[in-house]
Amino acid sequence: MDETVAEYIRRTVLKIPRDEIKMMLQKWGFLSEAQLQTLNFHQIKDNISQEVVQLCEENSANIKQAAALDIIYNHIYQNKRMWSVYQMKKSGEELEYFDITDFKKKFKGRLRSTLKNVTITFKEYEDNAIWIRVAWGTPYKKPNQYKPSYVVYHSQTPYVFISASVLKSNLPLLCQALIVASNYHDIREMELRSHSLDSLKDIVFKRYSQNFQTYTPKLLQEENVEPENADIRIVQENRSEKERIHKLNQEAFGSGPQPKLEFAQYRLETMFKSDPKMDVLDKKEPFRCLVKFSSPHLLESLKSLAPAGMADAPLSPLLTCIPHKARNYFKIREKKGLHPENLVSS
Amino acid sequence: EKADPQKTAFLLRKAWTLYSVTPLYRFRRARLRDYARLLGAFIAAEKQKGLAVEVGVELDIKVALSSLADLRGSELDQAALLVQLSSRSKASSRSSEDKLVWSGWFCSVFGDDLSENVPEQFTCLPLFLTHGAESYTSLVGSWFQKTFDCCFRRLAISPLNLSWMVAMWAGCKLDRAASAVELIFSVPRLSQPLDISYAIHPEDAKALWDTVQKTPGEITQEEVDVFMDCLYAHFHRHFKIHLSAAKLVKVSTAIASAHCDGIVKILHSQYLPGVLMLLTELAISQIQ
Repeated sequence: MDETVAEYIRRTVLKIPRDEIKMMLQKWGFLSEAQLQTLNFHQIKDNISQEVVQLCEENSANIKQAAALDIIYNHIYQNKRMWSVYQMKKSGEELEYFDITDFKKKFKGRLRSTLKNVTITFKEYEDNAIWIRVAWGTPYKKPNQYKPSYVVYHSQTPYVFISASVLKSNLPLLCQALIVASNYHDIREMELRSHSLDSLKDIVFKRYSQNFQTYTPKLLQEENVEPENADIRIVQENRSEKERIHKLNQEAFGSGPQPKLEFAQYRLETMFKSDPKMDVLDKKEPFRCLVKFSSPHLLESLKSLAPAGMADAPLSPLLTCIPHKARNYFKIREKKGLHPENLVSS
Repeated sequence: EKADPQKTAFLLRKAWTLYSVTPLYRFRRARLRDYARLLGAFIAAEKQKGLAVEVGVELDIKVALSSLADLRGSELDQAALLVQLSSRSKASSRSSEDKLVWSGWFCSVFGDDLSENVPEQFTCLPLFLTHGAESYTSLVGSWFQKTFDCCFRRLAISPLNLSWMVAMWAGCKLDRAASAVELIFSVPRLSQPLDISYAIHPEDAKALWDTVQKTPGEITQEEVDVFMDCLYAHFHRHFKIHLSAAKLVKVSTAIASAHCDGIVKILHSQYLPGVLMLLTELAISQIQ
């Protein structure tokens, strides 16, 4: 077995938390059940990984098999990576039958015709997700297995999720190979990024509960009635305000759980407007700002601002549009013309 | 007021943790060498007791104390006092291989408010800045407390003071490559905590401040309030969020940055005295 393969397998096993190693090796299926029985999972990880490498040696593992283990690890720990979303465009309307073998062949062919040194691995999952791992080399160097790119493609959709390696120069080539293989003619990066791959899928596949426009306010109000205390002198002063905020929040965010995003970024190039009495800045040029919101669960956090008294209800559409516009990076400019108050996002 | 930039270069671009210190009793400038020796012995003794040092580190700690005559506001201020801890591995004995592991310095920049009200045997150096492991800070602090009967307290910086800093620093003259004026807010008490970073192009922030400030060289609370209100209003116009209700946690400009936990980084030697003067004032209000 190649030394580099051995080292790569050793390091991959070291990444896995100790009590998950057995499960992952079983999923991998490269070592037999009998071989797995010989492993002592109660020792330190260093030793476990050495033993795994020895068993792989017995089976003469090659880089393709090692790469398969890496995909399994990254599929389970997908949230450790940052994912960007790309959308592909078709020229015609025809729904072509998707042939996975054809896809793989075209993808590999396109990459290999430009770059001889690449390692390409595929794995299909039950939810129709095709995972692709690409390790990149140069004409003179073997592929760097430690900085691969990952692609997740749901063949029934025009969306591709990419977690690129640091080597951004390979991105155009990767995109090219994807459109050739999937019979699309164009691909563009969306302004949508997150660690939570599932949430990105929720957003673009519209799998989250979306805002109800106007038809259910009555229902919500009924739902919100608290059993009143016997003492009618106790009254919630802000009750109607609270209900109004609750209703507007539901309309903006929907009543179901929000997709999980960690941040939203706004590049503001709008004018600074002030009360003329204040006698401050009155430039004709934009007041340039960069605003970034971060939270372990951004949309839930934004949803709780108005009820907490930190924001007006309804919250600004710049924030509430995030899921249905499927973006968390924005550039906001002033709209010229009849309504100078309006803000345009691009 | 001008400090030699070479001597003060070590202060720049480092994150300093801030403390206020009450006046030192019977501190003698002439005895710096003695103090260095005593502090060194104290640290060695504490290490023997097994206290407060990283495990497995076999190092001798050498202490150096020096005065920085240039680092003060006026002649009424005491010169700054620098404490440096260096390590030398037991294997080597050459001082060229000493590695600086911790520095701390006491200073007073226009601290007359304090020093004019204090009896003669006391030395006023109300601001203490440290860089390095907390364990060393603790050791140095304990020794000074025991020896000079003084008291150290972490210097927190309130949102009010942070907004003074950002307004002042945003108004300073800029180089070409100045970094943004950034304010970082935290909204902790929500179901999911939220952090908001609000970064303004330095030219635009300065332009705003220039229209707010009425008298050059003087800043009033009212002007700082107007500046902040303008920023809050611009934010509210876009996002409908009341930033004034969030907690201002950190401000950062091309001049310096400051965090509410009392951590400061100074980037420009030109503004060093101004920043230190402000921090001295904060330290003194904490003491009084």
